[in-house]
Amino acid sequence: MTENLLVWVLLTPLLGASAALAGKVLKPLEKILCVLATASLMVPAVILARLSGPVMAGETLHYSLGGWPEPYGISLVMDGISWISAALTSAIALAVAVFSLGNGRYGSRYFFFLLMMVTGMYGVAITGDLFTMFVFFEIIAVAVYVLIAWEGTATGLAASLKYLLLSTTGVLFFLLGIFLIYRDVGVLSISQVSTALRGMGGAANTPVMHLALACLCVGIGVRTAFIPFHTWLPEAHAYAPHPISAILSGAMIKVSFFAMVRIILQFGGEYLFGLLMWIGAITALAAVVSALAQSDVKRLLAYHSISQLGYILAVFGAGSSIALTASFFHSLNHALFKSLLFLTAGAAVSYSGQRNLYKIGGLGRKMPVFAAAFFVGALSITGIPPFNGFASKAFITMGMKNSPAYPLLWITGFLTLASFIKLGRIFMPSRNTEEMEGKHRPGTLQTITVVTLALACTATGVFGGPIAGFLHEMLYGSVLGTTPPLYSWASILKVIPAVLLGTAVFGLVTTSRGKALSIKVQALAPQLRTVLVFFFAGFLAFAAVAW
Amino acid sequence: MAWLLIGAIFLVGLWGVMSKANMVKKVMGLSIANSAIILLFVYYGSLSGKTAPIERTGKAMVDPLPQALMLTAIVVGVCVMALALVLVYRLYLKFHTLDMGEVERRAWELHD
Repeated sequence: MTENLLVWVLLTPLLGASAALAGKVLKPLEKILCVLATASLMVPAVILARLSGPVMAGETLHYSLGGWPEPYGISLVMDGISWISAALTSAIALAVAVFSLGNGRYGSRYFFFLLMMVTGMYGVAITGDLFTMFVFFEIIAVAVYVLIAWEGTATGLAASLKYLLLSTTGVLFFLLGIFLIYRDVGVLSISQVSTALRGMGGAANTPVMHLALACLCVGIGVRTAFIPFHTWLPEAHAYAPHPISAILSGAMIKVSFFAMVRIILQFGGEYLFGLLMWIGAITALAAVVSALAQSDVKRLLAYHSISQLGYILAVFGAGSSIALTASFFHSLNHALFKSLLFLTAGAAVSYSGQRNLYKIGGLGRKMPVFAAAFFVGALSITGIPPFNGFASKAFITMGMKNSPAYPLLWITGFLTLASFIKLGRIFMPSRNTEEMEGKHRPGTLQTITVVTLALACTATGVFGGPIAGFLHEMLYGSVLGTTPPLYSWASILKVIPAVLLGTAVFGLVTTSRGKALSIKVQALAPQLRTVLVFFFAGFLAFAAVAW
Repeated sequence: MAWLLIGAIFLVGLWGVMSKANMVKKVMGLSIANSAIILLFVYYGSLSGKTAPIERTGKAMVDPLPQALMLTAIVVGVCVMALALVLVYRLYLKFHTLDMGEVERRAWELHD
């Protein structure tokens, strides 16, 4: 009975999408149908809440579409990883849909694509076989290409085409990986491939499987956007409409990351951990340096998404159970605070009609609620207690204890702080306050959304320990053994050197030499050709790491 | 021989995406590489039997799964290519050029 609910997780957003599309024909009902589409996103959330009990008890739920058995039919699987992935999608999708509804500028076509994308994300989260995962990845992708180019600006169109070319190349490699697995193993369902590979001694002992796993990781890696596959992200996230940036940064890259985690863990890809840890740490540091140099509000936030994903990847690469929990915990927290930051900063951009952070100022008085919510997000991402970034960074520190890559993450920490002092000026009082005339005032629904997200950021910070324990129980079915002491004096005092260093770096960046250097770093955005060279280099790294 | 040919088609497609300046040719390159992957599955499937996959004919039928998968992959590929061409067209209307490098340069100048 409960297993039949699984298919409704996929069906309700699909029905919602059709309802939204019907609004294009039935013009007078458009508003109501958009509300209906948004409401349909609540159904998966309720279903997930109901399924949390059995999943937490360690059960893996299966559902075969149309009753066809596994090698031929499409099967849906719900275990700990898929539950977390789907739950994260629900939370962010609902927030983003409500925010878009409050904006009033988005009609039925927009909601259709938004809901198709959400359907794809649920699909990737709960699918049981590799080929269906490919199909759902492409459903997400097609919707995302359209949504990035939604405003119809030249920059948006160019960003969308660049993303399309890169990610379609990635998906071709994903298909190649599926082929290699089908050729050697003869099945495509993730659990059966996993069993068969264990029989053959794990992916580590079979050279063809190295190649297959590298293909799969590269294909997903483009969606997840770690170095060297990150190049599409800053532009795509910067020029998309603000709610779309929020869901892209908040949920989409996480869902792809969880799919990769599942594949690596199930197929015995533990030999990749070392590589992933270093890629993660370097991603975190390199992206935050780029972020510090940006002057475009949304581009700065987009680079931070890459940087925070570096944290998530690095701690996943550390490999222990607490490390995986920390990785998932930070994913959840990042989803909350990054969508909050994109929504509030996006509202500031719409309000002022400017994207350059040096030209926006003094919005704190004009939109106080948004300013407060923005600072909650900023304090979260910089890891200041009692917000959630602090909690998950404490877990990351514990998961990466004694790891040689940890110093890179520590440096990233105070550079993050420096760049948010820089970004914070848009809400601070400034001299040119009078010039700011309101173009798009945020509505009530938008205010409610950002306040809810800000409260969620605070709550996941204050109750960090229990939430990490819950995630650990979801993933492993056992109680988390050791937790870092979150709110002891020692851990809070550790924040102080990072704050001082961050302020010092901010001081350096605003000097004239720092500004000149910033412009040089900004110009480093590579062209498509270079991007594809990066891509092949990354592929070779993944394929060669086994030797 | 067939394997090598398929590999060659795949590489030609990737080369097209990478080094052709014209955006339409880049999309063509993707389409060629996509076809190579489809050929790969279908060719591999065709090695497994001799007749069409109809049950109870008593003959050695081919494995139906790769064909079924590729039917889906072709549909997905067509959608993506159509969308890519729409984007190329819209970019052409904005910039009056099909050169990707030129488009990227001029799009970069628009940011602030």
